[in-house]
Amino acid sequence: MEMRNRWLSIAIYTVSIGLGVLTFVYPFILPGAVGAQSMSTAHASETPLLYVLLLTLCLGVLLYEVQGEAVKTRQVALLGVLVAIDSVLRFVDIAIPGPGGFSPIFFLIILTGVVFGGRFGFLMGALTLFVSALITGGVGPWLPGQMFTAGWTGMCAALCRPVIEGLHLSGKKTEIWLLMGVGAFWGLAFGAIMNLWAWPFMVGPVDQYWAPGVGLQDTLRRYGVYYLATSLAWDLSRSVGNVLLIGIFGAPTLKALRRFERRLVFWYETPGQDEKQPELLGEKI
Amino acid sequence: MINTWAWCGWLLAGLVALSLTRNPTYLVIIFLSITLVSTVLVRRAGARRGFFSPLYFLGFICLTASLFNALTSHFGNTILFAIPGQIPLLSGAVTLEAMTYGALNGLVLSGLFVIFMVFNQALPARALVRLIPRAFSPLAVVISIAVTFIPATRRELELIREAQAVRGHRVRGVRDALPLFMPLLVGGLERAFQLAEAMTARGFGGEGEAAAHAFRGRFAMLAGLLLILAGWLLKLVTGSSPLWAGILITAGAALILAVFVLISSRSVSTTYQTESWSVRDGIVLAGAALVLVVFLVPSISPWHFMQNYNPYPQITLPSFNPWAGCAILGLLLPAFLVVSVSK
Repeated sequence: MEMRNRWLSIAIYTVSIGLGVLTFVYPFILPGAVGAQSMSTAHASETPLLYVLLLTLCLGVLLYEVQGEAVKTRQVALLGVLVAIDSVLRFVDIAIPGPGGFSPIFFLIILTGVVFGGRFGFLMGALTLFVSALITGGVGPWLPGQMFTAGWTGMCAALCRPVIEGLHLSGKKTEIWLLMGVGAFWGLAFGAIMNLWAWPFMVGPVDQYWAPGVGLQDTLRRYGVYYLATSLAWDLSRSVGNVLLIGIFGAPTLKALRRFERRLVFWYETPGQDEKQPELLGEKI
Repeated sequence: MINTWAWCGWLLAGLVALSLTRNPTYLVIIFLSITLVSTVLVRRAGARRGFFSPLYFLGFICLTASLFNALTSHFGNTILFAIPGQIPLLSGAVTLEAMTYGALNGLVLSGLFVIFMVFNQALPARALVRLIPRAFSPLAVVISIAVTFIPATRRELELIREAQAVRGHRVRGVRDALPLFMPLLVGGLERAFQLAEAMTARGFGGEGEAAAHAFRGRFAMLAGLLLILAGWLLKLVTGSSPLWAGILITAGAALILAVFVLISSRSVSTTYQTESWSVRDGIVLAGAALVLVVFLVPSISPWHFMQNYNPYPQITLPSFNPWAGCAILGLLLPAFLVVSVSK
C-alpha cells in the first residue's frame, strides 16, 4: 500500500509538473506546417484562456498532492508564519520598490526549500505569491504562472540538499556560495519563464516575437533576442538582489531555520530495541 | 455587499469577453463598464481615487503599445510617414494599421488589468480565502494563518525597527537590515510553535485530514491529468483545434474538477458566517450570463462574426450590433447594485 501510494505520488508529480512545463514552453514545440493565419486567429482567441485554465488545474492537483504530505500541525503553522513574513517582505518591496525586478521574497523561498525539503519549498513559493497577491491586489491571470514558477524555485532549491549533505558543506562558506548560485540562476529563470506566458500573445518586430510555424531553432533565437532586448537588465537586478540577500542574510537565516527544523524532529525508543528511530514531521524529497 | 460568487461570475464574463474579441467598439464598451464599476466602488467605499486611474492607465498603455507597434511593425497599407535610413527595427513605413493594432492590444491588456483591480477592490481578502475549495483545507488553514499573521508581522517589524533605533541602529543599506530581519524571523518561528501547540490542543492534524487524502481520488486526478496531456499533445501535434483534442482536455478537466467537488463535499467544516444570496446577486449573475452567451455560444449568437476585427492590411470601420452592445452592458450592473460599505 505504501509503495503503491509512493508510485502514485511520483506519477502525479511527474505528470503535473510536465504538463505545467509543457504549458509554458508550447510556443517552442508548435508544428511548422501550420497556416499562419488560421493559427494566429485561434491563438488570439482561445489559447490564453486555455493556458490559464490548464495551469490552474495542474497547480491545483500538485498543491493537493503536496498538501497531503504536509498536514502535520507544526508544518502548517510554520508554513503559515513563514509565508506571512515573506509576504510582508513583498509588501515592503512594493512600498519602497527596489531596482528593476529585484524582489526580496526569493531568498527565503530558496533557503526554506534547502532546509525543509522540496515539498515545503514548493508550498512556500506558491503560497507566498498567492498570499502576497491577496494583500497587494495582485490577483490576476498571471498568478497561476507566478505560483508555479515560485514553487519550482523552492522545489529546485531542495536539490542542493544532497550536495550540501554529501560534501558536508553545512554551515560553511561554500554552502552560501552554492545557494548564491541558485539565487542567481532563479533570478533570471523566474523572469525567463514568466515572460513565456505573455510572449506568444505579443506583437512586435518579426525577429523578436513568436510566430506560428517558424520551427524550434528560430523560435529559440527569437525568444533569446526578445529576452536580451526587453528582460535581461530587469531580471539581472533580481538575480543580483538574490545573490546579495543570500550572501548577507543566508548564514544566520539558515542557522535559525535549522535550529527550528531540529525542533520539528523528535526521537523515540521502541522497547526492546537499542536503536533510536527518528520521526520527522513530514517527508522530505 | 454583492455575493462573492456573483462577483466571480462577473469576473469570468469580463475575462471571456476581453479574451474573445478584438472589435474596438465592444472592447471600449467592456472597458468603460468595468471602469464605471471601479469608480462606483471607490466612491461608495469613501476612498479617494489614488494615483492609479483606469483611464490614465489605459491612455498610457494604449499610447505605448501603439507607438511601439507602429515603430517596429511596418505592415499595412495606410502609410503615415516613413523613417529613413538603415536603423535596425525602426526604419521603414509607419502605418495607421500598425498603430491601431497596438492600441487594440493595449486596450485588451488594460481591460484585463482593470477587471482584476475591480475584483480586488470589491472583495476583502477573507472573501477570497473563503473561495478556496474545501479539498484544500490544510492549505486554506496555512493561507488563513498567513493572512492573519501579516498585520501582526508588520507591527512586529515596526516594533523591532523602533527598538533598534533606540539603540542607535540606522538602516543605510541592505546589510543594516539584518538586525531587523533576524528578530522578525526568529520571533515568527517561535509564534509558529505556540500556534501549532494551540492547534494540536484543538484537534487539528488528526486522522481525518490524512484519510481525506484518499488513493482513489488521487488516481482519478492522475487520469484527468493524462487525458489533458493527451489532448494538449494532440492539439500541439496537429497544430489546430481538432474535436478530439477538445474532448480529451474537457474530459480531463471535468474529471479533476469532479474529484475536487467530491472531496470537498466529504470534508467537514464549520461555517461561522454564511454569505446571503439576494435578488441583487441574481441580477449581477444574470448580466454576466448574458455576456457569456453573447461571446461563447456562436450557434445561437447572431453577433458572433462581428466580434473579430483585424486592421491589417487596410484599416476599416469595425462592425457594430447595438443589441450585442446592450448585452455587454450586463457587466455594468454591479455599478447600480453595490451597497455602500459605510452604511
